[in-house]
Amino acid sequence: MDDPIMVEVKDLHFSRGNTDIFRGVDLQIPLGKITAIMGPSGTGKTTLLKLIGGQLVPDRGQVLIDGQDVHQLPRRSLFTLRRRMGMLFQSGALFSDLDVFENVAFPLRVHTELPNAMIRDIVLMKLQAVGLRGARHLMPSELSGGMARRVALARAVALDPELVLYDEPFVGQDPISMGVLVQLVKKVNQALGLTAVMVSHDIKETLSIADYVYIIADGRVMAHGTPQTLNVNDDAHVKQFVHGEPDGPVPFHYPAPDFFDDILAPAGQFS
Amino acid sequence: MTRYIATLGRATLDTLSTIGRAGLFLIQSIFCLPSREGFHLWLRQMHFVGVMSVAIVLVSGLFIGMVLALQGFTILVSFGADEALGQMVALSLVRELAPVVAALLFAGRAGSALTAEIGLMKATEQLTSMEMIGVDPLRRIVAPRFWAGFISLPILTVLFGVVGIWGGYLVGVDWLGVYKGSYWSNMQDSVDFVDDVLNGVIKSLVFGLVVTWIAVFQGYDLVPTSEGISRATTRTVVYASLAVLGLDFVLTALMFGDLG
Ligand SMILES: Nc1ncnc2c1ncn2[C@@H]1O[C@H](COP(=O)(O)OP(=O)(O)OP(=O)(O)O)[C@@H](O)[C@H]1O
Ligand SMILES: [Mg+2]
Repeated sequence: MDDPIMVEVKDLHFSRGNTDIFRGVDLQIPLGKITAIMGPSGTGKTTLLKLIGGQLVPDRGQVLIDGQDVHQLPRRSLFTLRRRMGMLFQSGALFSDLDVFENVAFPLRVHTELPNAMIRDIVLMKLQAVGLRGARHLMPSELSGGMARRVALARAVALDPELVLYDEPFVGQDPISMGVLVQLVKKVNQALGLTAVMVSHDIKETLSIADYVYIIADGRVMAHGTPQTLNVNDDAHVKQFVHGEPDGPVPFHYPAPDFFDDILAPAGQFS
Repeated sequence: MTRYIATLGRATLDTLSTIGRAGLFLIQSIFCLPSREGFHLWLRQMHFVGVMSVAIVLVSGLFIGMVLALQGFTILVSFGADEALGQMVALSLVRELAPVVAALLFAGRAGSALTAEIGLMKATEQLTSMEMIGVDPLRRIVAPRFWAGFISLPILTVLFGVVGIWGGYLVGVDWLGVYKGSYWSNMQDSVDFVDDVLNGVIKSLVFGLVVTWIAVFQGYDLVPTSEGISRATTRTVVYASLAVLGLDFVLTALMFGDLG
Protein backbone atom coordinates (compact mmCIF):
# COMPACT_ATOMS: atom_id res chain seq x y z
CA MET A 1 0.00 0.00 0.00
CA ASP A 2 1.39 3.34 -0.95
CA ASP A 3 -1.53 5.46 0.21
CA PRO A 4 -1.00 7.86 3.09
CA ILE A 5 -1.93 6.28 6.43
CA MET A 6 -4.77 7.62 8.58
CA VAL A 7 -4.67 5.12 11.42
CA GLU A 8 -1.74 2.99 12.38
CA VAL A 9 -1.96 0.24 14.97
CA LYS A 10 1.41 -1.02 16.17
CA ASP A 11 2.05 -4.19 18.13
CA LEU A 12 -1.22 -3.97 20.03
CA HIS A 13 -1.66 -6.16 23.09
CA PHE A 14 -4.88 -6.23 25.07
CA SER A 15 -6.34 -8.62 27.57
CA ARG A 16 -9.51 -8.87 29.60
CA GLY A 17 -9.07 -10.68 32.88
CA ASN A 18 -6.98 -13.71 32.00
CA THR A 19 -7.95 -13.88 28.34
CA ASP A 20 -5.60 -12.35 25.84
CA ILE A 21 -7.71 -10.72 23.18
CA PHE A 22 -4.88 -9.24 21.12
CA ARG A 23 -1.35 -10.56 20.99
CA GLY A 24 0.48 -8.17 18.74
CA VAL A 25 -1.80 -6.70 16.10
CA ASP A 26 -0.41 -4.43 13.40
CA LEU A 27 -2.77 -2.60 11.08
CA GLN A 28 -2.57 0.29 8.70
CA ILE A 29 -5.75 2.05 7.66
CA PRO A 30 -5.16 4.03 4.48
CA LEU A 31 -6.52 7.56 4.16
CA GLY A 32 -9.74 7.96 2.20
CA LYS A 33 -10.33 4.25 1.73
CA ILE A 34 -12.75 1.71 3.15
CA THR A 35 -10.93 -0.84 5.25
CA ALA A 36 -12.88 -3.86 6.37
CA ILE A 37 -12.09 -5.83 9.49
CA MET A 38 -13.41 -9.34 9.56
CA GLY A 39 -13.06 -12.30 11.82
CA PRO A 40 -14.99 -14.86 13.79
CA SER A 41 -17.50 -13.66 16.37
CA GLY A 42 -15.81 -12.90 19.69
CA THR A 43 -12.30 -12.31 18.33
CA GLY A 44 -12.34 -8.70 19.41
CA LYS A 45 -13.40 -6.61 16.45
CA THR A 46 -15.58 -4.36 18.59
CA THR A 47 -12.75 -4.23 21.10
CA LEU A 48 -10.38 -3.12 18.34
CA LEU A 49 -12.68 -0.25 17.34
CA LYS A 50 -12.92 0.82 20.98
CA LEU A 51 -9.13 0.76 21.24
CA ILE A 52 -8.87 2.92 18.13
CA GLY A 53 -11.44 5.34 19.56
CA GLY A 54 -9.51 5.60 22.82
CA GLN A 55 -12.28 4.01 24.87
CA LEU A 56 -10.04 1.20 26.05
CA VAL A 57 -6.36 1.39 26.86
CA PRO A 58 -4.05 -1.31 25.47
CA ASP A 59 -1.62 -3.26 27.65
CA ARG A 60 1.12 -2.65 25.12
CA GLY A 61 1.47 -1.06 21.72
CA GLN A 62 0.20 2.10 20.12
CA VAL A 63 -2.65 3.47 18.07
CA LEU A 64 -1.68 6.47 15.97
CA ILE A 65 -4.37 8.54 14.34
CA ASP A 66 -2.99 11.11 11.99
CA GLY A 67 0.31 10.73 13.80
CA GLN A 68 -1.10 11.29 17.32
CA ASP A 69 -0.86 8.50 19.87
CA VAL A 70 -4.48 8.17 21.00
CA HIS A 71 -3.67 6.72 24.38
CA GLN A 72 -1.07 9.33 25.31
CA LEU A 73 -3.32 12.30 24.61
CA PRO A 74 -4.66 14.29 27.56
CA ARG A 75 -8.42 13.99 28.05
CA ARG A 76 -9.14 17.38 26.45
CA SER A 77 -7.17 16.66 23.27
CA LEU A 78 -8.68 13.20 23.01
CA PHE A 79 -12.14 14.75 22.91
CA THR A 80 -10.99 17.24 20.29
CA LEU A 81 -9.63 14.38 18.20
CA ARG A 82 -12.90 12.50 18.54
CA ARG A 83 -14.81 15.36 16.94
CA ARG A 84 -13.11 14.32 13.73
CA MET A 85 -14.34 10.76 14.14
CA GLY A 86 -17.74 9.15 13.90
CA MET A 87 -18.60 5.79 15.36
CA LEU A 88 -21.52 3.53 14.70
CA PHE A 89 -22.04 1.31 17.73
CA GLN A 90 -23.03 -2.30 17.41
CA SER A 91 -25.97 -1.58 19.70
CA GLY A 92 -26.87 1.74 18.07
CA ALA A 93 -26.55 3.58 21.41
CA LEU A 94 -29.05 6.32 20.56
CA PHE A 95 -29.77 8.83 23.31
CA SER A 96 -33.01 7.59 24.79
CA ASP A 97 -34.21 11.02 25.94
CA LEU A 98 -33.94 12.60 22.48
CA ASP A 99 -36.08 11.85 19.43
CA VAL A 100 -34.65 10.69 16.09
CA PHE A 101 -34.20 14.22 14.78
CA GLU A 102 -32.42 15.46 17.89
CA ASN A 103 -30.22 12.39 18.01
CA VAL A 104 -28.87 13.16 14.56
CA ALA A 105 -28.72 16.87 15.35
CA PHE A 106 -26.78 16.29 18.57
CA PRO A 107 -23.23 16.36 17.16
CA LEU A 108 -24.11 19.43 15.08
CA ARG A 109 -25.56 21.29 18.03
CA VAL A 110 -22.64 20.61 20.35
CA HIS A 111 -19.82 21.15 17.90
CA THR A 112 -21.02 23.80 15.49
CA GLU A 113 -22.58 27.23 15.73
CA LEU A 114 -24.84 26.60 12.74
CA PRO A 115 -28.22 28.30 12.72
CA ASN A 116 -31.22 26.09 13.39
CA ALA A 117 -32.48 26.21 9.82
CA MET A 118 -29.21 24.84 8.54
CA ILE A 119 -29.04 22.14 11.18
CA ARG A 120 -32.54 21.12 10.13
CA ASP A 121 -31.51 20.86 6.49
CA ILE A 122 -28.44 18.77 7.30
CA VAL A 123 -30.34 16.43 9.61
CA LEU A 124 -33.14 15.91 7.09
CA MET A 125 -30.57 15.19 4.39
CA LYS A 126 -28.86 12.57 6.54
CA LEU A 127 -32.18 11.01 7.52
CA GLN A 128 -33.32 11.00 3.90
CA ALA A 129 -30.16 9.10 2.99
CA VAL A 130 -31.02 6.31 5.43
CA GLY A 131 -34.69 6.39 4.48
CA LEU A 132 -36.01 7.62 7.81
CA ARG A 133 -36.91 11.25 7.17
CA GLY A 134 -40.51 10.35 8.01
CA ALA A 135 -39.51 8.85 11.35
CA ARG A 136 -37.90 12.00 12.67
CA HIS A 137 -40.40 12.49 15.51
CA LEU A 138 -40.16 8.97 16.88
CA MET A 139 -38.33 8.22 20.10
CA PRO A 140 -35.57 5.56 20.04
CA SER A 141 -37.79 3.21 22.03
CA GLU A 142 -40.31 3.29 19.17
CA LEU A 143 -37.83 2.14 16.52
CA SER A 144 -37.10 -1.36 15.32
CA GLY A 145 -33.55 -2.65 15.68
CA GLY A 146 -32.72 -2.06 12.03
CA MET A 147 -34.22 1.43 12.07
CA ALA A 148 -32.29 2.37 15.21
CA ARG A 149 -29.08 1.30 13.53
CA ARG A 150 -29.84 3.42 10.50
CA VAL A 151 -30.48 6.45 12.70
CA ALA A 152 -27.19 5.73 14.46
CA LEU A 153 -25.52 5.61 11.05
CA ALA A 154 -26.98 9.01 10.16
CA ARG A 155 -25.73 10.37 13.49
CA ALA A 156 -22.26 8.91 12.97
CA VAL A 157 -21.82 10.83 9.72
CA ALA A 158 -23.74 13.97 10.75
CA LEU A 159 -20.59 16.04 11.17
CA ASP A 160 -19.00 14.65 8.00
CA PRO A 161 -16.12 13.22 10.04
CA GLU A 162 -12.74 12.37 8.58
CA LEU A 163 -12.74 8.91 10.07
CA VAL A 164 -15.78 6.71 10.58
CA LEU A 165 -15.77 3.47 12.51
CA TYR A 166 -18.71 1.26 11.60
CA ASP A 167 -19.44 -1.69 13.87
CA GLU A 168 -21.59 -4.05 11.82
CA PRO A 169 -23.62 -1.48 9.91
CA PHE A 170 -25.64 -4.02 7.95
CA VAL A 171 -26.89 -6.27 10.72
CA GLY A 172 -30.64 -6.58 10.99
CA GLN A 173 -31.40 -4.95 7.64
CA ASP A 174 -33.73 -6.40 5.04
CA PRO A 175 -32.19 -6.98 1.60
CA ILE A 176 -33.43 -3.63 0.28
CA SER A 177 -32.10 -1.43 3.09
CA MET A 178 -28.95 -3.52 3.13
CA GLY A 179 -28.33 -2.67 -0.52
CA VAL A 180 -29.07 0.99 0.17
CA LEU A 181 -26.75 1.11 3.16
CA VAL A 182 -23.92 -0.58 1.31
CA GLN A 183 -24.20 2.06 -1.40
CA LEU A 184 -24.47 4.77 1.26
CA VAL A 185 -21.25 3.74 2.97
CA LYS A 186 -19.55 3.67 -0.40
CA LYS A 187 -21.02 7.01 -1.41
CA VAL A 188 -20.05 8.98 1.72
CA ASN A 189 -16.61 7.53 1.40
CA GLN A 190 -16.24 8.62 -2.20
CA ALA A 191 -18.03 11.94 -2.03
CA LEU A 192 -16.36 13.20 1.13
CA GLY A 193 -13.14 11.27 0.83
CA LEU A 194 -13.48 10.08 4.41
CA THR A 195 -11.66 7.12 5.82
CA ALA A 196 -13.84 4.25 6.91
CA VAL A 197 -13.12 1.26 9.11
CA MET A 198 -15.88 -1.26 8.82
CA VAL A 199 -16.47 -4.37 10.89
CA SER A 200 -18.85 -6.69 9.15
CA HIS A 201 -19.85 -10.30 8.80
CA ASP A 202 -21.56 -9.82 5.47
CA ILE A 203 -18.75 -11.08 3.32
CA LYS A 204 -20.22 -10.50 -0.09
CA GLU A 205 -21.30 -6.92 0.64
CA THR A 206 -18.10 -6.11 2.47
CA LEU A 207 -15.83 -7.42 -0.22
CA SER A 208 -17.84 -5.52 -2.80
CA ILE A 209 -17.11 -2.10 -1.30
CA ALA A 210 -13.94 -2.53 0.75
CA ASP A 211 -10.63 -1.35 -0.65
CA TYR A 212 -8.64 -3.38 1.81
CA VAL A 213 -9.45 -6.20 4.21
CA TYR A 214 -7.92 -7.43 7.44
CA ILE A 215 -8.96 -10.77 8.85
CA ILE A 216 -8.37 -11.10 12.57
CA ALA A 217 -8.37 -14.38 14.44
CA ASP A 218 -6.68 -15.68 17.56
CA GLY A 219 -5.49 -12.27 18.64
CA ARG A 220 -3.52 -11.68 15.48
CA VAL A 221 -3.95 -10.46 11.95
CA MET A 222 -4.45 -13.72 10.11
CA ALA A 223 -4.49 -12.34 6.62
CA HIS A 224 -4.81 -9.05 4.83
CA GLY A 225 -5.05 -7.81 1.31
CA THR A 226 -7.39 -6.41 -1.25
CA PRO A 227 -10.66 -8.28 -1.79
CA GLN A 228 -9.28 -9.71 -5.05
CA THR A 229 -6.19 -11.18 -3.46
CA LEU A 230 -8.17 -12.61 -0.52
CA ASN A 231 -10.66 -14.27 -2.84
CA VAL A 232 -7.90 -16.27 -4.44
CA ASN A 233 -5.93 -16.82 -1.23
CA ASP A 234 -5.06 -20.48 -0.75
CA ASP A 235 -4.62 -20.48 3.01
CA ALA A 236 -7.11 -22.87 4.59
CA HIS A 237 -8.17 -20.36 7.27
CA VAL A 238 -8.78 -17.57 4.81
CA LYS A 239 -10.62 -19.83 2.41
CA GLN A 240 -12.90 -21.11 5.10
CA PHE A 241 -13.70 -17.62 6.27
CA VAL A 242 -14.13 -15.94 2.91
CA HIS A 243 -16.34 -18.73 1.63
CA GLY A 244 -18.18 -19.25 4.90
CA GLU A 245 -17.59 -22.96 5.34
CA PRO A 246 -18.52 -24.51 8.69
CA ASP A 247 -15.69 -27.06 8.69
CA GLY A 248 -12.10 -26.00 8.66
CA PRO A 249 -9.33 -24.74 10.87
CA VAL A 250 -11.27 -21.75 12.25
CA PRO A 251 -13.26 -22.95 15.26
CA PHE A 252 -16.94 -22.05 15.51
CA HIS A 253 -16.95 -22.72 19.27
CA TYR A 254 -15.74 -20.62 22.16
CA PRO A 255 -12.84 -22.62 23.71
CA ALA A 256 -14.39 -25.45 25.76
CA PRO A 257 -13.57 -28.94 27.00
CA ASP A 258 -14.43 -31.83 24.75
CA PHE A 259 -18.15 -31.93 24.00
CA PHE A 260 -18.65 -35.61 24.89
CA ASP A 261 -16.67 -35.34 28.11
CA ASP A 262 -18.80 -32.37 29.04
CA ILE A 263 -22.11 -34.10 28.27
CA LEU A 264 -21.11 -37.35 29.97
CA ALA A 265 -19.53 -35.73 33.04
CA PRO A 266 -20.72 -37.60 36.14
CA ALA A 267 -23.11 -35.67 38.36
CA GLY A 268 -21.27 -33.60 40.95
CA GLN A 269 -18.44 -32.80 38.56
CA PHE A 270 -20.27 -30.10 36.64
CA SER A 271 -18.23 -26.98 36.24
CA MET B 1 -5.05 -16.81 58.17
CA THR B 2 -2.92 -15.51 55.31
CA ARG B 3 -5.97 -15.72 53.10
CA TYR B 4 -7.87 -13.63 55.58
CA ILE B 5 -5.16 -10.99 55.59
CA ALA B 6 -4.98 -11.05 51.79
CA THR B 7 -8.74 -10.58 51.54
CA LEU B 8 -8.61 -7.73 54.01
CA GLY B 9 -5.76 -6.14 52.08
CA ARG B 10 -7.56 -6.44 48.79
CA ALA B 11 -10.74 -4.97 50.25
CA THR B 12 -8.76 -2.04 51.65
CA LEU B 13 -7.05 -1.42 48.32
CA ASP B 14 -10.37 -1.65 46.47
CA THR B 15 -11.97 0.81 48.85
CA LEU B 16 -9.06 3.22 48.57
CA SER B 17 -9.04 3.10 44.80
CA THR B 18 -12.80 3.66 44.69
CA ILE B 19 -12.45 6.69 46.93
CA GLY B 20 -9.65 7.95 44.71
CA ARG B 21 -11.72 7.51 41.58
CA ALA B 22 -14.71 9.16 43.23
CA GLY B 23 -12.57 12.14 44.19
CA LEU B 24 -11.17 12.57 40.70
CA PHE B 25 -14.64 12.15 39.31
CA LEU B 26 -15.97 14.92 41.55
CA ILE B 27 -13.20 17.30 40.59
CA GLN B 28 -13.54 16.58 36.88
CA SER B 29 -17.28 17.00 36.84
CA ILE B 30 -17.89 20.05 39.01
CA PHE B 31 -15.33 22.39 37.58
CA CYS B 32 -16.77 23.22 34.25
CA LEU B 33 -17.38 26.63 32.84
CA PRO B 34 -20.99 27.73 32.96
CA SER B 35 -22.51 28.17 29.53
CA ARG B 36 -25.96 28.92 28.19
CA GLU B 37 -26.31 25.28 27.12
CA GLY B 38 -25.16 24.08 30.52
CA PHE B 39 -27.67 26.37 32.16
CA HIS B 40 -30.54 24.78 30.23
CA LEU B 41 -29.36 21.29 31.12
CA TRP B 42 -29.08 22.33 34.74
CA LEU B 43 -32.57 23.82 34.72
CA ARG B 44 -33.99 20.57 33.35
CA GLN B 45 -32.33 18.64 36.14
CA MET B 46 -33.53 21.14 38.74
CA HIS B 47 -36.98 20.10 37.60
CA PHE B 48 -36.34 16.35 37.82
CA VAL B 49 -34.25 16.39 40.94
CA GLY B 50 -35.67 19.32 42.86
CA VAL B 51 -39.21 20.17 41.82
CA MET B 52 -40.29 16.54 41.65
CA SER B 53 -39.12 16.03 45.25
CA VAL B 54 -41.16 18.95 46.60
CA ALA B 55 -44.35 16.96 47.23
CA ILE B 56 -42.73 14.24 49.33
CA VAL B 57 -40.76 16.83 51.30
CA LEU B 58 -43.85 18.96 52.02
CA VAL B 59 -45.96 16.03 53.17
CA SER B 60 -43.20 14.62 55.38
CA GLY B 61 -42.41 18.03 56.82
CA LEU B 62 -46.03 18.63 57.70
CA PHE B 63 -46.41 15.30 59.51
CA ILE B 64 -43.13 15.62 61.36
CA GLY B 65 -44.06 19.09 62.57
CA MET B 66 -47.44 17.83 63.74
CA VAL B 67 -45.96 14.85 65.59
CA LEU B 68 -43.34 17.08 67.21
CA ALA B 69 -46.01 19.40 68.53
CA LEU B 70 -48.07 16.52 69.84
CA GLN B 71 -45.17 14.83 71.63
CA GLY B 72 -43.69 18.12 72.80
CA PHE B 73 -46.98 19.34 74.22
CA THR B 74 -47.52 16.24 76.41
CA ILE B 75 -44.06 16.68 77.91
CA LEU B 76 -44.05 20.48 78.23
CA VAL B 77 -47.53 20.71 79.70
CA SER B 78 -46.48 18.59 82.68
CA PHE B 79 -43.97 21.32 83.56
CA GLY B 80 -46.53 23.99 82.80
CA ALA B 81 -44.25 25.18 80.03
CA ASP B 82 -46.52 24.70 77.06
CA GLU B 83 -45.80 28.25 75.78
CA ALA B 84 -42.33 26.96 74.90
CA LEU B 85 -43.85 24.63 72.29
CA GLY B 86 -42.99 26.97 69.42
CA GLN B 87 -39.38 27.11 70.53
CA MET B 88 -39.14 23.34 70.83
CA VAL B 89 -40.68 22.62 67.45
CA ALA B 90 -38.64 25.25 65.64
CA LEU B 91 -35.29 24.35 67.18
CA SER B 92 -35.62 20.62 66.58
CA LEU B 93 -36.68 21.23 63.01
CA VAL B 94 -34.14 23.89 62.10
CA ARG B 95 -31.14 22.30 63.78
CA GLU B 96 -31.71 18.61 63.15
CA LEU B 97 -34.84 17.21 61.63
CA ALA B 98 -35.21 19.36 58.54
CA PRO B 99 -31.64 18.88 57.24
CA VAL B 100 -31.44 15.21 58.16
CA VAL B 101 -34.89 13.95 57.18
CA ALA B 102 -34.97 16.02 53.99
CA ALA B 103 -31.58 14.57 53.04
CA LEU B 104 -32.73 11.01 53.74
CA LEU B 105 -35.88 11.52 51.68
CA PHE B 106 -33.80 13.13 48.95
CA ALA B 107 -31.44 10.15 48.86
CA GLY B 108 -34.38 7.80 48.44
CA ARG B 109 -36.33 9.86 45.96
CA ALA B 110 -33.75 11.70 43.83
CA GLY B 111 -30.48 9.88 44.60
CA SER B 112 -31.74 6.46 43.55
CA ALA B 113 -33.27 7.93 40.39
CA LEU B 114 -29.98 9.62 39.46
CA THR B 115 -28.03 6.41 39.91
CA ALA B 116 -30.47 4.33 37.89
CA GLU B 117 -30.68 6.89 35.10
CA ILE B 118 -26.94 7.34 34.66
CA GLY B 119 -26.43 3.59 35.07
CA LEU B 120 -28.89 2.75 32.34
CA MET B 121 -27.21 5.27 30.05
CA LYS B 122 -23.95 3.50 30.72
CA ALA B 123 -25.42 0.04 30.17
CA THR B 124 -26.89 1.05 26.80
CA GLU B 125 -23.57 2.59 25.71
CA GLN B 126 -25.06 6.08 25.58
CA LEU B 127 -22.20 7.44 27.67
CA THR B 128 -19.64 5.76 25.43
CA SER B 129 -21.28 7.01 22.27
CA MET B 130 -21.37 10.51 23.71
CA GLU B 131 -17.65 10.26 24.40
CA MET B 132 -17.09 9.16 20.82
CA ILE B 133 -19.03 12.16 19.56
CA GLY B 134 -16.46 14.19 21.43
CA VAL B 135 -18.69 15.33 24.27
CA ASP B 136 -17.52 14.63 27.79
CA PRO B 137 -20.37 12.94 29.68
CA LEU B 138 -18.91 14.26 32.91
CA ARG B 139 -19.78 17.75 31.74
CA ARG B 140 -22.92 17.03 29.85
CA ILE B 141 -24.61 14.37 32.00
CA VAL B 142 -22.99 14.40 35.41
CA ALA B 143 -22.27 18.08 36.08
CA PRO B 144 -25.84 19.41 35.59
CA ARG B 145 -27.24 16.63 37.77
CA PHE B 146 -24.64 17.22 40.41
CA TRP B 147 -25.27 20.95 40.63
CA ALA B 148 -29.03 20.44 40.59
CA GLY B 149 -28.82 18.10 43.57
CA PHE B 150 -26.38 20.29 45.45
CA ILE B 151 -28.56 23.36 45.07
CA SER B 152 -32.00 21.85 45.46
CA LEU B 153 -31.46 20.04 48.76
CA PRO B 154 -30.95 23.24 50.82
CA ILE B 155 -34.09 24.69 49.23
CA LEU B 156 -36.03 21.53 50.01
CA THR B 157 -34.70 21.67 53.56
CA VAL B 158 -35.99 25.21 54.04
CA LEU B 159 -39.39 24.14 52.70
CA PHE B 160 -39.39 21.19 55.06
CA GLY B 161 -38.67 23.43 58.03
CA VAL B 162 -41.32 26.01 57.12
CA VAL B 163 -44.03 23.42 56.58
CA GLY B 164 -43.00 21.60 59.76
CA ILE B 165 -43.35 24.75 61.85
CA TRP B 166 -46.75 25.33 60.30
CA GLY B 167 -47.74 21.73 61.08
CA GLY B 168 -46.66 22.29 64.68
CA TYR B 169 -48.83 25.41 64.75
CA LEU B 170 -51.85 23.51 63.46
CA VAL B 171 -51.58 20.88 66.17
CA GLY B 172 -50.28 23.05 69.01
CA VAL B 173 -52.35 26.19 68.60
CA ASP B 174 -55.45 25.19 66.63
CA TRP B 175 -55.97 21.82 68.21
CA LEU B 176 -54.30 21.70 71.64
CA GLY B 177 -54.98 25.32 72.46
CA VAL B 178 -51.51 26.78 73.06
CA TYR B 179 -51.74 30.59 73.00
CA LYS B 180 -50.98 31.78 69.49
CA GLY B 181 -48.86 34.75 70.52
CA SER B 182 -46.58 32.71 72.75
CA TYR B 183 -46.06 30.05 70.03
CA TRP B 184 -44.59 32.67 67.69
CA SER B 185 -42.86 34.99 70.15
CA ASN B 186 -41.12 32.17 71.98
CA MET B 187 -39.89 30.93 68.64
CA GLN B 188 -38.63 34.36 67.60
CA ASP B 189 -36.81 34.90 70.86
CA SER B 190 -35.02 31.58 70.91
CA VAL B 191 -34.12 30.82 67.32
CA ASP B 192 -30.91 32.57 66.38
CA PHE B 193 -30.34 33.26 62.71
CA VAL B 194 -26.64 32.49 62.62
CA ASP B 195 -26.43 29.76 65.25
CA ASP B 196 -29.50 27.86 64.21
CA VAL B 197 -30.82 28.73 60.76
CA LEU B 198 -27.47 29.23 59.09
CA ASN B 199 -25.99 26.13 60.66
CA GLY B 200 -28.99 24.12 59.48
CA VAL B 201 -28.49 25.41 55.96
CA ILE B 202 -24.78 24.61 56.10
CA LYS B 203 -25.65 21.06 57.14
CA SER B 204 -28.01 20.71 54.21
CA LEU B 205 -25.36 22.03 51.81
CA VAL B 206 -22.95 19.37 53.04
CA PHE B 207 -25.62 16.67 52.79
CA GLY B 208 -26.58 17.87 49.31
CA LEU B 209 -22.97 17.58 48.18
CA VAL B 210 -22.45 14.13 49.67
CA VAL B 211 -25.76 12.56 48.65
CA THR B 212 -25.58 13.80 45.06
CA TRP B 213 -21.93 12.88 44.78
CA ILE B 214 -22.61 9.32 45.95
CA ALA B 215 -25.62 9.03 43.62
CA VAL B 216 -23.96 10.21 40.42
CA PHE B 217 -20.73 8.37 41.14
CA GLN B 218 -22.52 5.08 41.82
CA GLY B 219 -24.35 5.50 38.53
CA TYR B 220 -21.21 6.34 36.57
CA ASP B 221 -19.06 3.64 38.12
CA LEU B 222 -21.45 0.68 38.16
CA VAL B 223 -21.13 -2.62 36.34
CA PRO B 224 -23.29 -2.10 33.25
CA THR B 225 -25.80 -4.90 33.70
CA SER B 226 -29.32 -4.98 35.12
CA GLU B 227 -27.98 -6.57 38.28
CA GLY B 228 -25.25 -3.95 38.51
CA ILE B 229 -27.83 -1.17 38.23
CA SER B 230 -30.03 -2.59 40.96
CA ARG B 231 -27.07 -3.05 43.28
CA ALA B 232 -25.76 0.42 42.67
CA THR B 233 -29.18 1.93 43.31
CA THR B 234 -29.38 0.14 46.64
CA ARG B 235 -25.84 1.21 47.47
CA THR B 236 -26.70 4.83 46.77
CA VAL B 237 -29.54 4.81 49.27
CA VAL B 238 -27.61 2.90 51.92
CA TYR B 239 -24.31 4.81 51.64
CA ALA B 240 -26.02 8.17 51.33
CA SER B 241 -28.23 7.57 54.36
CA LEU B 242 -25.33 6.37 56.50
CA ALA B 243 -23.17 9.28 55.34
CA VAL B 244 -25.90 11.77 56.22
CA LEU B 245 -26.41 10.34 59.71
CA GLY B 246 -22.69 10.10 60.41
CA LEU B 247 -21.90 13.57 59.09
CA ASP B 248 -24.81 14.98 61.03
CA PHE B 249 -23.21 13.84 64.25
CA VAL B 250 -19.86 15.32 63.28
CA LEU B 251 -21.36 18.62 62.17
CA THR B 252 -23.56 18.86 65.24
CA ALA B 253 -20.56 18.29 67.47
CA LEU B 254 -18.64 21.04 65.62
CA MET B 255 -21.50 23.53 65.58
CA PHE B 256 -23.31 23.00 68.86
CA GLY B 257 -20.78 21.03 70.87
CA ASP B 258 -19.60 24.04 72.87
CA LEU B 259 -23.02 25.55 73.49
CA GLY B 260 -23.84 23.72 76.69
N1 LIG C 1 -16.93 -5.87 28.99
C1 LIG C 1 -16.28 -7.03 28.81
N2 LIG C 1 -15.75 -7.66 29.87
C2 LIG C 1 -15.07 -8.81 29.71
N3 LIG C 1 -14.88 -9.43 28.54
C3 LIG C 1 -15.40 -8.85 27.45
C4 LIG C 1 -16.13 -7.62 27.52
N4 LIG C 1 -16.51 -7.28 26.29
C5 LIG C 1 -16.06 -8.25 25.48
N5 LIG C 1 -15.38 -9.20 26.16
C6 LIG C 1 -14.71 -10.39 25.60
O1 LIG C 1 -13.82 -9.92 24.61
C7 LIG C 1 -13.85 -10.74 23.48
C8 LIG C 1 -14.01 -9.88 22.24
O2 LIG C 1 -15.26 -9.22 22.27
P1 LIG C 1 -15.74 -8.29 21.06
O3 LIG C 1 -17.03 -7.71 21.45
O4 LIG C 1 -14.65 -7.37 20.71
O5 LIG C 1 -15.93 -9.37 19.90
P2 LIG C 1 -16.37 -9.13 18.39
O6 LIG C 1 -15.24 -9.58 17.56
O7 LIG C 1 -16.86 -7.73 18.21
O8 LIG C 1 -17.56 -10.15 18.25
P3 LIG C 1 -18.92 -10.01 17.40
O9 LIG C 1 -18.56 -10.25 16.00
O10 LIG C 1 -19.77 -11.12 17.93
O11 LIG C 1 -19.47 -8.66 17.68
C9 LIG C 1 -14.99 -11.72 23.68
O12 LIG C 1 -14.41 -13.00 23.84
C10 LIG C 1 -15.69 -11.32 24.93
O13 LIG C 1 -15.95 -12.45 25.72
MG1 LIG D 1 -18.67 -6.87 17.93
